[in-house]
Amino acid sequence: MSLKKFSELFSDLDSFNSTNNKIEVLKNYFLSNDPIDNSWAIYLLTGKSNKRFISGRYLKNLFSQIYEYPQWLIDTCYLKVGDSAEVITLLLKNKTNSKKKKLSNISLNELLSEKIPALSKLNEEEKNLEIKNLWETLPEDNHLIFNKILTGTFRVGVSIGLITKSISKLINIEEEIISHRLMGDFKPSIDSYKFLINKNINLQELNSKPFPFLLANTIEDKIFKNSINDFQFEWKYDGIRMQLIKRSGNISLWTRGQELVNESFPELVEKMSHIKDDFVLDGELLVWNFKEQIAFDFSLLQKRINRKSPTRSIQIKYPIIFIAYDLLEINGKDIREIKLKSRRIELEKFFLKWQNKTENNISDIFKICDLIYPKDWPDALAYKEKSRENNTEGLIIKKKTSIYSSGRKKGIWWKCKVDPMQLDAVLIYAKGGSGRRAGLYTDYSFALWKDQELIKFASAYSGLTNIEIKELDKWIRKNTIEKFGPVRSLKPEMVFEISFEKIQISKRHKSGIAVRFPRITKWRKDKKIIDADSLENAYELMKKIS
Amino acid sequence: MKTKQEYLIRYKDGNLYCELADIWIDPSKPVKKALITHAHFDHFTFGCEEYISTKETAILLKQRVGDNIKIKTFEYGEEFKINGINISFHPSGHILGSSQIRFIFAEEKWLISGDFKLQKDQTCKKYEIVKTDYLVSECTFGLPIFKWDESNKIANDISKWITNSPDKTSLLFCYSLGKAQRLLNEISQTNFKGNIYSHGSIHKMNNSYRELGIDIKDTIKIENKKKIDELKGSLVLLPPSLSKGSYLKNFKNLQTAFASGWMSIRALRKRSGYDKGFAISDHADWDGILEVVKKSEAKNVFFHHGDSEALSKYLVEKESINVLLFSE
Repeated sequence: MSLKKFSELFSDLDSFNSTNNKIEVLKNYFLSNDPIDNSWAIYLLTGKSNKRFISGRYLKNLFSQIYEYPQWLIDTCYLKVGDSAEVITLLLKNKTNSKKKKLSNISLNELLSEKIPALSKLNEEEKNLEIKNLWETLPEDNHLIFNKILTGTFRVGVSIGLITKSISKLINIEEEIISHRLMGDFKPSIDSYKFLINKNINLQELNSKPFPFLLANTIEDKIFKNSINDFQFEWKYDGIRMQLIKRSGNISLWTRGQELVNESFPELVEKMSHIKDDFVLDGELLVWNFKEQIAFDFSLLQKRINRKSPTRSIQIKYPIIFIAYDLLEINGKDIREIKLKSRRIELEKFFLKWQNKTENNISDIFKICDLIYPKDWPDALAYKEKSRENNTEGLIIKKKTSIYSSGRKKGIWWKCKVDPMQLDAVLIYAKGGSGRRAGLYTDYSFALWKDQELIKFASAYSGLTNIEIKELDKWIRKNTIEKFGPVRSLKPEMVFEISFEKIQISKRHKSGIAVRFPRITKWRKDKKIIDADSLENAYELMKKIS
Repeated sequence: MKTKQEYLIRYKDGNLYCELADIWIDPSKPVKKALITHAHFDHFTFGCEEYISTKETAILLKQRVGDNIKIKTFEYGEEFKINGINISFHPSGHILGSSQIRFIFAEEKWLISGDFKLQKDQTCKKYEIVKTDYLVSECTFGLPIFKWDESNKIANDISKWITNSPDKTSLLFCYSLGKAQRLLNEISQTNFKGNIYSHGSIHKMNNSYRELGIDIKDTIKIENKKKIDELKGSLVLLPPSLSKGSYLKNFKNLQTAFASGWMSIRALRKRSGYDKGFAISDHADWDGILEVVKKSEAKNVFFHHGDSEALSKYLVEKESINVLLFSE
């Protein structure tokens, strides 16, 4: 019923490490709360509420202003805590002992459908007053949730899969159905929750929704024991995985992150609506170099992703293509249960038909993925090595007899990524982390040699174990040359192996190069800084690849 | 302004030292004469020629160092003289026997706070406000994000945590001296009425507390290879040093928690590796430190134990209190 219950749920989910515990806690929550609060809870827990009403900075300024609190003190606390919403929650413990009547029975629904949306209709002064009022009237243990929702930073260690499982257990219906119902646009309401827990399965109502995506696992050695002929080989494109759906004449374009993105890619929606058949296609959206018939870099796709209603000139500047991997449904018939090799035949058949029979030319925006036919496993690996040439990340290997199930099922699809590029670099700066890594120095900058000088070339924060992070943190504190705010410059002493996916010329960086997805793959304690790579090594690497 | 050599008490080799009396406070290396504020391992060292403490601290200290140390004891408030300096112990509310130490010399008062808290704790004497000219205070939790909840609220949370999982063994990690006994005292007043087990190191301290007249609930000493069923729904108190490693393999179907002030920060809670954190501390929170600084009426304050940068700046800017820095 109340926001308090949801705060308890949050704290329980936050503290239990075991999946079974989490499912149990969720189930009990759903059982003991009303449908509207449950639908809001699902909305929050599945991360569909990333709307930011105010920024963390704004929250901190507001607190400082209301309670005449020095800004520098809040900033110092932030370094320890790593999350604005939590800092303010902790600081509020000192401030809200006022005698004001508490809104102890406010429901999650009331907060999310009334109180918080009402804020955006107020002018700044009224808004600040209302936030202050809520701080002082909401019970203390609700502050964290409130501040996190305000700043759009509500996150908890629960996957959609876990929510799916707990609802599935609650009503005894297969996870696939729940997962299907949870896909896409989930608007919190009594009806949406009732639909979710409806024990009768109605296919019609699931009409515009995508199927759960089947995901690939990292390649395992045991696969090489099988005959190469048992598998279908495709390039692994570096774009946005999507399902392109046409049912009852309507197109819907869903990302794997369950977003409906029709508005961002209107030219695709328009063209595909001319096809006479209904279908569900699984594929990848890319910005395409039509002259060379390869994908452009992911960075160009980024120019399209978050732009709704792109202008004609944007559409021409960044031309997109949808490459279909798979056909999941055709004219209302779900064919996920038939084998991949048969689905592929259907996909090719319909693609040919659509190409020839559709009034508008669709081939400038839609194609099916080319297959690769390695003669044996070494040959397959040789293909993988060539993937950089056509701007792909490696290979996807699919078992020809597999059906299209959901999730990261083992033994069906594998991804085989091209090995990363590596350089040994010197640690020169460190910055405090946020969130789980608050209070530790976990964001690092690395440099390469240029003559006698170390030039920064990449920043990375992932790849070290927790034990290594602690060890390095201790070292950083002892070997700081200078502090600039949260950043420390360090005595050049530590060498790390940095892996990355791409390397290219960049005028924006002092080093003249930019790398993609840099990460730490080894702490090279065996190396002295003199052994680290130079910028020249980096340029050679770049030449070798292009 | 005095130079650091002129201060009655200063920092030497990383320890608090009074040169006039040639006496050290909680030294970390063997010395001739050591005043001990309390019996936590980071506040004394083996091998000093003479220790001076309260009666309770002396007994706890002997438990840890052995019986054959030379130790002189004084009651709280009892004044004694060394080289013309008047010295006395005063309750600091941290653990049983813990004390602040006051020095008076040539009409100048110095107060070493020791570790202290203002919160309720039925297992030791309440913090006593002592007026001073110079205050040397700890500041382990010297940021305003630290604001402790009432200890009975935490105890109720712990009780709920155990009773909500009746099929599990609940392992609560806490310091074996002080925190464990305070928790036992608080938990015995909650709705949790199940069995409580404690590790040998904690069991030993419980007995010492009882001998010193503190009413502590009886616990069962945990033996290796307890039957799993027997532990279901029980609480087991363990020292934090056992939280990593093979010791936990003695238990099945368990849940773990850590009782420490640091657990008030989510990131630290998550990183600690325990299922749950209970933010209960035997140190003062931010408000506690400010209160002690103000009520002591000290004109000059030194901080040690903890990051004091923010606290110092705040006192200087907001309260116009002179905060000094120790330097060797």
